[in-house]
Amino acid sequence: MKILTTIKKVVDVELTINVEAGAIVEDGLQYVMNAWDENAVEATVQLKENNNAETTMVSIGGGEDNTKIIRRGFAMGIDNGIQIDDPTLTEADSSVFARVLQKVYEKEGYDLIITGKQAQDTDNGQTGIMLAEYLAIPCVSNVIAIEVLDDQHISVSRLGDNGTEIVALELPAVVTVTDSINEPRLPGMRGLMMAKKKKIDVMDLSALGTSFEEVGGTALKSEIVEFMKSETREAGQKFEGDAADITAKVVDLLVNEAKVL
Amino acid sequence: MAKVLVIADIKQGALKGSTAELLSKAKAIGAEAAVVAIGSNLEALIPELANAGSDTQYIADDPGLELFSAGPYASCVVDAANQFGADLIWFSFSESGKAASPRVAAQLGAACATEITDVILNGDQVEIIRPAIANKVKQRVKINAERLVAVVRAGAFEATEGISGTENVVRLATPAADVKAVIKELISDATGEIDLADADIVISVGRGAKDQTGVDLIRALADDLGAGFGSSRAMVDGGFMAHNKQVGQTGKIVAPTLYMAMGISGAIQHLAGMNGSKVILAVNKDPEAPIFNVADYGIVGDLFEVVPLLREEIKKIRS
Ligand SMILES: Cc1cc2nc3c(=O)[nH]c(=O)nc-3n(C[C@H](O)[C@H](O)[C@H](O)COP(=O)(O)OP(=O)(O)OC[C@H]3O[C@@H](n4cnc5c(N)ncnc54)[C@H](O)[C@@H]3O)c2cc1C
Repeated sequence: MKILTTIKKVVDVELTINVEAGAIVEDGLQYVMNAWDENAVEATVQLKENNNAETTMVSIGGGEDNTKIIRRGFAMGIDNGIQIDDPTLTEADSSVFARVLQKVYEKEGYDLIITGKQAQDTDNGQTGIMLAEYLAIPCVSNVIAIEVLDDQHISVSRLGDNGTEIVALELPAVVTVTDSINEPRLPGMRGLMMAKKKKIDVMDLSALGTSFEEVGGTALKSEIVEFMKSETREAGQKFEGDAADITAKVVDLLVNEAKVL
Repeated sequence: MAKVLVIADIKQGALKGSTAELLSKAKAIGAEAAVVAIGSNLEALIPELANAGSDTQYIADDPGLELFSAGPYASCVVDAANQFGADLIWFSFSESGKAASPRVAAQLGAACATEITDVILNGDQVEIIRPAIANKVKQRVKINAERLVAVVRAGAFEATEGISGTENVVRLATPAADVKAVIKELISDATGEIDLADADIVISVGRGAKDQTGVDLIRALADDLGAGFGSSRAMVDGGFMAHNKQVGQTGKIVAPTLYMAMGISGAIQHLAGMNGSKVILAVNKDPEAPIFNVADYGIVGDLFEVVPLLREEIKKIRS
């Protein structure tokens, strides 16, 4: 089985994020692999370990930080790495990324594509599903378990609105995974050393056999006009001391001040 | 006049309040509003769909649509959107909405936006507001495509009191089943407990509750108050709480009148699911816990001691 796994570089969401003049202040930010993509990589490596899969990851974007997350993917156990580095792609939307990934898929052909269910920077959750739509192959999102049935079929469990859905999928297919599917492994020292020596297949759009126009880059369906700070809540009243006293006090405030009890 | 198609949010056979919220917003921006309902045994819901504020009801009612399958579900939405000539296609915040919206957008060549909190119409120009980066920032996004498919963040729009509509039913053809993604089984998570999305008060349990004894203790408080009983991811991972109880970025987004966080540290992924609550009460033994930065009222203490006291105090005022 050939598996393609998508990984994205995202801003570390644990850090303070400042907004100035409608833009995110880049100073002091750090970048990591999208948490849900780490789940996708882990799911891929587990499939490789249990079913002899050939694994490839792809990341769209250039720069040191992007190389770093691909190296992390190698260290976690992925065999091959593709980096789509094209300066035109900085202002792209999910649909454009899906079109680029479509080209990556079509170049080699894969049986299974695994993506994180969304990216921590945009929180969009669209790319994997759109990719399946463009490729006209089946897709299940929000997946918490993958089981290989045979060369052409897998069974996946999905968290849906009414419970856990068990879906039989014919390959090729796209699966987007959520964080409860697994606990991503921490790459060891040896893995990280080996990852440094691995070759990354770097391509721009023309090497991929396409153009910015063909992937929809010149006709973006939506554009971010500005970023704004989110409303932050103020810390309220915090009580310490005798448990009985402060509990009675807080219940009184909930009833008479906040009027919510 | 803009045309808004709202996808009816139906869970366990019941129409959720979010449907009226989205239809109310459609009317508030001066749009013509229709609803599309997809599922099985929907006949009895039709008057309710109209009363929720729609003037046309597209109905895809077939036993084959009882279990959610994203492909056919999206096909029904595309069919209704084309028949209605919808400019704006809105899903409630739900797993089905998140799964179907990118498909619908791809098929219609529309823009796609997830978790929107507002829509601004300026003549023909549509803009939306949405949070990003786990709610740390907001984006204002200009829509260039002719149509917009969006998932509306839970609690973003309010239902207009006394909203009504007219019954005008259009039946949709049942799309073919997806033979490449066959749903084999649904392991229902229905518990008979109040749905977190419907609850006025939500009480959530975190790792501070440690084990089943702690969970049961807090559940008793939720029962006393008729509150929804939620969880942080830690207690779901620990196997103490069901997946559908998880509040946060990968779980439910709730905005109740009162949210009580019991032994929850306040990680940003948890906050992203509850910081729209009207009033937040936190109980945590660590005075430095980040949850206190968003709590209106904080009790620094051991929940095993505080929760029984809370039950007592509340019983006193309730009698
Ligand atoms: C991609 C991603 C998605 C995620 N999505 C979610 C999500 O949807 N929802 C979610 O909740 N988390 C989510 N998380 C996990 C999140 O980051 C935290 O790990 C999680 O919320 C922690 O749960 P907790 O607060 O219960 O546990 P902890 O962080 O361990 O906090 C336990 C708290 O209990 C307090 N405590 C301990 N004992 C007592 C006592 N006796 N009395 C009172 N207080 C006590 C401690 O002081 C501490 O503050 C996600 C993480 C990632 C990376």
